[in-house]
Amino acid sequence: MKNYYSLHISEWNKAIEKVLSDYLIYAPIKNDFTLDYELINQTNISEILYNIPKPTTPIKTLFLPIKENVTNDKPNQKRIIIGTPNCDIQGLKILDEIYLDKDFWDSTYHAKRENTLLISTPCFDTQEYCHCSVYGINPFPTEVADISLSKVDTKINLEILSDKGEKFIAELKGFASISKSAETDLKDIELKQSKVEKQIHSNNSGLPDYKKTGDIVQQATEETWKRYSSKCVSCGACATICPTCTCFLLIDKPNFEKVRQLDACQYPAFERVAGGEDNLHQLPKRFKNRYFCKYVWKPEKFKSLACTGCGRCIEACIAKINKNELFREFAS
Amino acid sequence: MNDKTNIYKPIRAKLLKVITESPTIKTFVMEPEQDFSFKTGEFIELTVDGIGEAPFTPSSSPLETKQIEVTVMKTGYVTEYLHNMKEGETLGIRGPFGRGYPVEKFYDKEVLILGGGCGFAPIRSLLYNLAAISDKLRKVTLCYGSKTPDECIYKPYVEQLRNTPKFEVLRTVDIPDEKWTETVGVSTVLLDKVKVDIKNSVAVCCGPPIMMKFGTKKFLEMGYPEHDIYLSMEKNMSCGLGKCGHCMMGKYFVCKDGPVFTYNEIKDQPDIWS
Repeated sequence: MKNYYSLHISEWNKAIEKVLSDYLIYAPIKNDFTLDYELINQTNISEILYNIPKPTTPIKTLFLPIKENVTNDKPNQKRIIIGTPNCDIQGLKILDEIYLDKDFWDSTYHAKRENTLLISTPCFDTQEYCHCSVYGINPFPTEVADISLSKVDTKINLEILSDKGEKFIAELKGFASISKSAETDLKDIELKQSKVEKQIHSNNSGLPDYKKTGDIVQQATEETWKRYSSKCVSCGACATICPTCTCFLLIDKPNFEKVRQLDACQYPAFERVAGGEDNLHQLPKRFKNRYFCKYVWKPEKFKSLACTGCGRCIEACIAKINKNELFREFAS
Repeated sequence: MNDKTNIYKPIRAKLLKVITESPTIKTFVMEPEQDFSFKTGEFIELTVDGIGEAPFTPSSSPLETKQIEVTVMKTGYVTEYLHNMKEGETLGIRGPFGRGYPVEKFYDKEVLILGGGCGFAPIRSLLYNLAAISDKLRKVTLCYGSKTPDECIYKPYVEQLRNTPKFEVLRTVDIPDEKWTETVGVSTVLLDKVKVDIKNSVAVCCGPPIMMKFGTKKFLEMGYPEHDIYLSMEKNMSCGLGKCGHCMMGKYFVCKDGPVFTYNEIKDQPDIWS
């Protein structure tokens, strides 16, 4: 209870305006086409949407941009990211395992993690393909993020999840009127969270949990992979939009500079070597590779989940391939 | 060593000498701007400035820290540029990366090595290492195959090895010329000619994928246990850091968990021979 603070939305908006001078702030805003993270300025603060299901772009893009020079060590400006759902927050865990591996510490990624305050939001609603709860992920944050924000009527409730979050609240107290959250609001938040969790389970009845996915992928026959991949056009949207897919190319620039560009195993020649051998030359093999990576190989290698059940790969697929249909087919 | 503060930044290395080993293979002798040490079998990422980067296992002795050599076959975009480079030019080096040969496990044993083509490069580094500790080894036998006598690399070094106690070299070519007096046939035929005490021996294999496949098969037929067959795997190691994903071989990042694996470690992973 002691970690919940509350302030009126008008006070919160003023607070955001105040900290704009020190931070780059990203938050979800609806535009004509989509609902996605936008850079916040003085004119769009009131348009920020809270406690909505996931924005279109996964948060990984703010830590591993599509293209970035990784050798010129530019200082990063401090950032606040507001409105990240827990599926994306959980996705950061495997990114941290990969990029903050003690043997090969990625300083570019680390600088972004260090300089970012994560204000996550519990989801008070679901989208068609959300299935985080089925994979054991709550639709509300409890870790990794610094603050959990819940908007109840005109009140912004802030739950501190980390030391960084606590420091930020202390900073806010310097110029905003903050009090402890009301019991009724907290109960309301809990109720909303629980309702969404139930909704996700009910929307995904028959979908096997994450622990079963590995066995299913290994049981699927070559015929299955051919059938499911028959409509795939190797566009790579599923990997690009995935919060945990982080494969990249290193591109050389003059003066020994290197640019890291997001890549995907779905693109032809991903594994091709100069001698010509290319394990993933055939499309069904590339298609199958992604499933094995997420549900068999990464779980053997990393502690964190390699699929957080956000459902973006299903939404993004122009061929309308639904990975959950495959899992349902083999669940019985 | 690599720039500790940024894993993507290469250190500069001056190209001291280019040695033509065969019509398609050259050795590049480099002097890194700081001491550079590696364990035999580990690899480096070599940058041709502004062009690209490719993984190579050094062919020089791991005991040498002032200079480093890589032996490269002209086979792709980066290697074509590399083959056109001249002495005095600057290259970039990142690494060393991965897991090399566990030489200490070879103590008191015979080491049977099968190599093919440019796969002699990592093996030469291993041989330098083994020669330095030959008092701890029973015997080292190298079976080396190439397509033609012209493509047999490290000819002076082979002569030197043949005059080194405890070392034996057998060579074969697919297509001989009139001067060739050694074996003709694929590299695995040499394994039939070797007398080896399997129980006190380890097998090492490095070469093109097809040779690795049949070499391993032959080693198994000879009676080598799966955990005594050491394979240096070639995949698309791009970052060298276990991050970019290009060299994934099932659950392994070849760049970090390998490139040297025992056969029993990788036998259940997909597409190990391609």
